[in-house]
Amino acid sequence: MAVEDVLVVEDLRKEFGGLIAVNDVDFNVPRHSIVSLIGPNGAGKTTFFNMLTGMYPATSGRIVFDGTDVTNKPPHAITALGVGRTFQNIRLFEQMTTLENVLVGMHARLKGGILTSILGTPGVRREERAARTRARELLQFSGLRGRDDQLARNLPYGDQRRLEVARALATNPKLLLLDEPTAGMNPQETAAFTGFVGKLRSEEKLTVLLIEHDMRVVMGISDRVTVLDYGEKIAEGTPHDVQSDERVIEAYLGRGAA
Amino acid sequence: MAALIRRPRPRAISLVGLGFVFLIGVWLLVNLLKDPERFFTVFLIGLTTGLVYALVALGYTLVYGILQLINFAHGDVFAFTGLLASTMILTVFDLTEQDSAGVIILGLLGTLVVVVAFGATLNSLIERVAYHRLLKAPRLALLITAVGMSFIVQNVALAIYDVNFRRVPELIPRSDVFSIGGVHYQWNKLSVVLITIPVLLLLTWLVRSTRQGKGMRATAQDPDAAAMVGIDVNRTISFTFALAGGLAGVGGLLFLLQFNIRYDSGFELGLIAFTAAVLGGIGNLSGAVLGAVVIGLIQAFNEGLAWATPGSDWTRSIIFGVLIAILVFRPQGILGEQVADRA
Amino acid sequence: MSEGTSTERPTRARHPSGGTFDFISGPWQRLPARVREWAPLAIVLAVAVLYPYIVGDLKSFATIGDFFPELDAAVYILVFTMMALGLNIVVGYSGLLDLGYVAFYAAGAYTAGWLASGQFQDVSFHFGSVGIQRDTQGIHVSVWLVLLIAGSFTAIVGILIGLPTLRLRGDYLAIVTLGFGEIIPQVVRNGDSFGGFNVTNGTFGINPIDSPGFGTTLNDAVGLPVNFQQSFDKFRLFYWGILVLLLITVFCSWRLRDSRLGRAWIAIREDETAAAAMGVPLMRTKTWAYAIGAFFGGVAGAYYASFKSGAFPSDFYFNISVFLLCMVILGGMGSIWGVLAGGIILSWLNIQGLAVIGDKFNDAAGTNFEIAKYQFGIYGTIIVLMMLFRPTGLIPERRHKRELEEGVHDETFFDVSH
Repeated sequence: MAVEDVLVVEDLRKEFGGLIAVNDVDFNVPRHSIVSLIGPNGAGKTTFFNMLTGMYPATSGRIVFDGTDVTNKPPHAITALGVGRTFQNIRLFEQMTTLENVLVGMHARLKGGILTSILGTPGVRREERAARTRARELLQFSGLRGRDDQLARNLPYGDQRRLEVARALATNPKLLLLDEPTAGMNPQETAAFTGFVGKLRSEEKLTVLLIEHDMRVVMGISDRVTVLDYGEKIAEGTPHDVQSDERVIEAYLGRGAA
Repeated sequence: MAALIRRPRPRAISLVGLGFVFLIGVWLLVNLLKDPERFFTVFLIGLTTGLVYALVALGYTLVYGILQLINFAHGDVFAFTGLLASTMILTVFDLTEQDSAGVIILGLLGTLVVVVAFGATLNSLIERVAYHRLLKAPRLALLITAVGMSFIVQNVALAIYDVNFRRVPELIPRSDVFSIGGVHYQWNKLSVVLITIPVLLLLTWLVRSTRQGKGMRATAQDPDAAAMVGIDVNRTISFTFALAGGLAGVGGLLFLLQFNIRYDSGFELGLIAFTAAVLGGIGNLSGAVLGAVVIGLIQAFNEGLAWATPGSDWTRSIIFGVLIAILVFRPQGILGEQVADRA
Repeated sequence: MSEGTSTERPTRARHPSGGTFDFISGPWQRLPARVREWAPLAIVLAVAVLYPYIVGDLKSFATIGDFFPELDAAVYILVFTMMALGLNIVVGYSGLLDLGYVAFYAAGAYTAGWLASGQFQDVSFHFGSVGIQRDTQGIHVSVWLVLLIAGSFTAIVGILIGLPTLRLRGDYLAIVTLGFGEIIPQVVRNGDSFGGFNVTNGTFGINPIDSPGFGTTLNDAVGLPVNFQQSFDKFRLFYWGILVLLLITVFCSWRLRDSRLGRAWIAIREDETAAAAMGVPLMRTKTWAYAIGAFFGGVAGAYYASFKSGAFPSDFYFNISVFLLCMVILGGMGSIWGVLAGGIILSWLNIQGLAVIGDKFNDAAGTNFEIAKYQFGIYGTIIVLMMLFRPTGLIPERRHKRELEEGVHDETFFDVSH
């Protein structure tokens, strides 16, 4: 039974000692939508993401993913349930090849165990072959064809970002969290990436939640935009609505913008 | 930047920890009631040894605070300074019990100056030669190098001093300073206090009030920010190592005066001191002293009390047990704040 | 999304031609790729298997003959190399700095002591043992079975140690494993009266320990040796035995590295936060690394105890853990060939090499320098030098090797081809 919102967040709060990073935020992401989370630097967006993916324990509140309460579950469990993510500062497995990076993403979806791997049973061999095929498909989909054996650390910056996405896709997510995916990209790259995100929704039937600073991306692709400032939600609505919201303008301009 | 913060500990484990502490309390109480004189004598011994450990523990905590590195070689530097002190006392100054108090004091002061300088230099040298290049490398590399350095220092000491234990004559008499009831406290123990307390006060002043000290604290909190406000991070690091080494020198001399030292004494003593630093709260200077005193007491109680005591055969295991327990139940130590793991 | 940026495909580094080894490298390059891939392994394997036959001749060479190890030293070398491979899974693949591996060695050895000796005089249990009278007291299980049990028991010890330890950060993990590496030998040394029960026979250790063997039935049928310890070919048999065990370890290491679990280990080593975010369960995966590494350490320890026919507390001390670590570092973390090389070189130095080199040096220079005394200083120096100048080791892991060949490219901030 498909729940209408793939992600529902209630009263989510994160305190670091005396600092309130996320202040009782309510949030939801409708299925198959593309939602952008924006706000000035330090607004708490990445902290919010980190709680969604289980990297930070929430101080209080509830996170419900696809009908399941995932509050304070460990990261790998949340990933297994269908949340994939990329990182603000690229966190690839540098000494592994492009293909291997994507294969790691499939960890939760594969079954190969110790004994079967050592013995090389037909089952494991089949699984590995299928995994590699799928990994190559994902790489091609992400624009990285033919680079299977290149070390991740040797890829150009833009390709590293693509690899992060391919790797996240390998986890077979229902919801994809992208943390500032176009940071450091030039305008053409950004436009290409925006199209790619659209493709993710239309072809792969994913729901996408973005943290973004680049307003062209936000305005161009989002169904809905949520604005955080000082850990609180100050506006939410269509890109057009948010763009003209007074509080949003004040939050950005009043602090010398992001 | 994503960091992995430890989940809140389940209640059951805290209860187990508390239960354990309670049992220890009971054990101490029974021993106290059964033989109070022995208890207090042992208590004072533990306190005194603890102060010596504090000097070494401070070295670990200072370096850890600034580099998040467990300097495995530190214990061996400590042992080396103790060995050097023995050379100074026996060969250079040729002190014996027969010498007058004035000569002894001068000789010891001279030795102190030499070993402090030596410890500071050796520790800084280790940092420059081995750790400096690896500061940007993965953490594993630095840690492994520290282990390697530990063995190098040990073997250099071995080459010079061979496998024998070095001890010095009883330069400071073992006569009583005071004696209350059946509890005795000797001069040689008091000398430890007389030297350590001023050193600790000096250290506190240095860290709180001087520029170097502030630089150390700033770099410990955030090296990039410190660099941005004009602190020479490299020099600060070298200074910290020198300071740690100097403290080890004081500790080495004091330890030598109480016990004896061998080229590999640093291993066990280093681990004891490190446990003390973790117990008190790694990175926290008062914590290092507190932890060291507690460890000194634990060791003294284990080796000195009579009722239901495991005994000196088990000292190492107990100390390690404490270390493991602290890291499992309360990783920030007694005085530390809960710090996020750096991923 | 457009096709990826087209940076030039890096070419494999070619050795400049016209060098001294062209007469080898020319024809070598012409051999089919498959042969080139497997040839080194085949050659090494052949030499290893045939070593007992050729050792006599090798040792008869002037001067360099002294460097070749006798078979009993060779057994020691292979035992410790096997342990290094076990440690490689923990440190090399998963990046967990384990400074207490000696605990696994001890656990394996004492399992052999418990299950294949007269230690427990109150019972009499025999199962497949060779060379022991049926009425002898003690537990006497077939050593082959004991190896399996020792490995499994040590794996469980590993899991138990891992429970509190593996959630800790790198440096704390190192210290705590060091602690366990210290506690277990101390427990073993004081283990002659746990509540009145003699578990480890304290400082005296457990000896003798039974021998592996195949018994008379198999001997009659296929000619397999009855009893290793009592055989005329004792050292050869033990040598081949450990060689087989080592090969099994190599095989398992190789298979695991390219498996789902191996990838998870390396991901954890590279960036455990990202690994968790990609669905790798950290505690479980690290525990597996620990358990499997421990397994091989336990088997090696048990086999060696049977070879020496004894398990003594004095065999187990902290420095051994560092010794094994040095092998992994010297050889190349995560590299099977590397750890084999590092293991063989260092074990050889320890059991024979340093003494021989020392003697030759002293003979030549007329000195009386006991180089073997400073062996741990040498190992420490090796560790520091490797970390400073060649952290990937003598034979880098194949991933690193690709890096050395491809080179490391500067990151372009923007894709210049667009």
